[in-house]
Amino acid sequence: MKFRRHRENPEAQEGREEIREIAEALSLYRSAMDHLAQRSPMRPFAADWRSGRSFPLRLLLAPALTAAVAAGIFLPVYSYSHHHPVITRPLRTDRQNPAALATVDDTALMNQIDSELSQDVPDALQPLADLSDQTTTNTTVSEKKNVTHE
Amino acid sequence: MEEIAGNELAIEKREQAVLELADFDEVVRVYRPRILRFLLSSLTDRDVAETLTQETFLKAWAARQQFRGESSLSTWLTRIAVNLMRDHLRSRSLRFWQKTRGASLDVMDISDWIPDGRTSPESQAVARNQVAAVWEAVHKLSAQQRTVFVLRFVEEMELDEIAGTLEMNLSTVKSHLYRALGIIRERMGGAK
Repeated sequence: MKFRRHRENPEAQEGREEIREIAEALSLYRSAMDHLAQRSPMRPFAADWRSGRSFPLRLLLAPALTAAVAAGIFLPVYSYSHHHPVITRPLRTDRQNPAALATVDDTALMNQIDSELSQDVPDALQPLADLSDQTTTNTTVSEKKNVTHE
Repeated sequence: MEEIAGNELAIEKREQAVLELADFDEVVRVYRPRILRFLLSSLTDRDVAETLTQETFLKAWAARQQFRGESSLSTWLTRIAVNLMRDHLRSRSLRFWQKTRGASLDVMDISDWIPDGRTSPESQAVARNQVAAVWEAVHKLSAQQRTVFVLRFVEEMELDEIAGTLEMNLSTVKSHLYRALGIIRERMGGAK
């Protein structure tokens, strides 16, 4: 029995030794961590955890930083999107002063000219026709006058 | 009869846990070292560990009305700490600049904190090497394995308690622990 036990021992003993070493290392590790945690001074805001001011600085800084980044991104976009209304607004207000009214009149005039120009080009003899019409009317009137005179 | 007695005991435990939470100054005083120890063991950054410890108690204070005493106060606080740590690890990749800060724990820092129970310089050196080997091996584990390992061997929690804290199956906890131990054993064997 003793001989048998002696023969099994080397492997088992090696395993046990390894486990013992690991257990010892883990125990030391735990002690070191415990020592470190026990000796770490409590931060001031933890001691005053009930007050609203005791909030960690990082928790306050994180939203502030996020807001700053967001502002950095959105402000240029916002100002760009509001750039066009800034340009159009003076135009709208300009309509209310005389200079603006003049501009409107000019525009109406230009529209009128444009519409007239876009009409069919008159016939080459059109002015003569008009002129003959005018002469015939003139003659008829003068003839009538003559008739009445007679 | 036994069932009734068991129920009464459970109710009594719950009431005791809720009562314990009523004196929050005392809760912080008693449990802070434990939570900090867990976070220090799980994270490499001392500053982050301390901040998350504070946040754990702030969250616990804010949510104290929701605590029904179904788990022990220690388990409840550890669960809050684990969740905060998960959030931190999840967002760490975004906050990459934190890696450049100098608050991270070094192996030598850890070794310095071994209690002075050893007489000879040789045994002290051996102890330092052992702690350094564990520290390095632990931080090579995956986040899940490390958490389970730390809860078992640093916090000395029971397996079912770990399962409750991490909201995992008992078999998953065992699996993580088995793998973690295998890796630690392998690395420590290599370190010798």
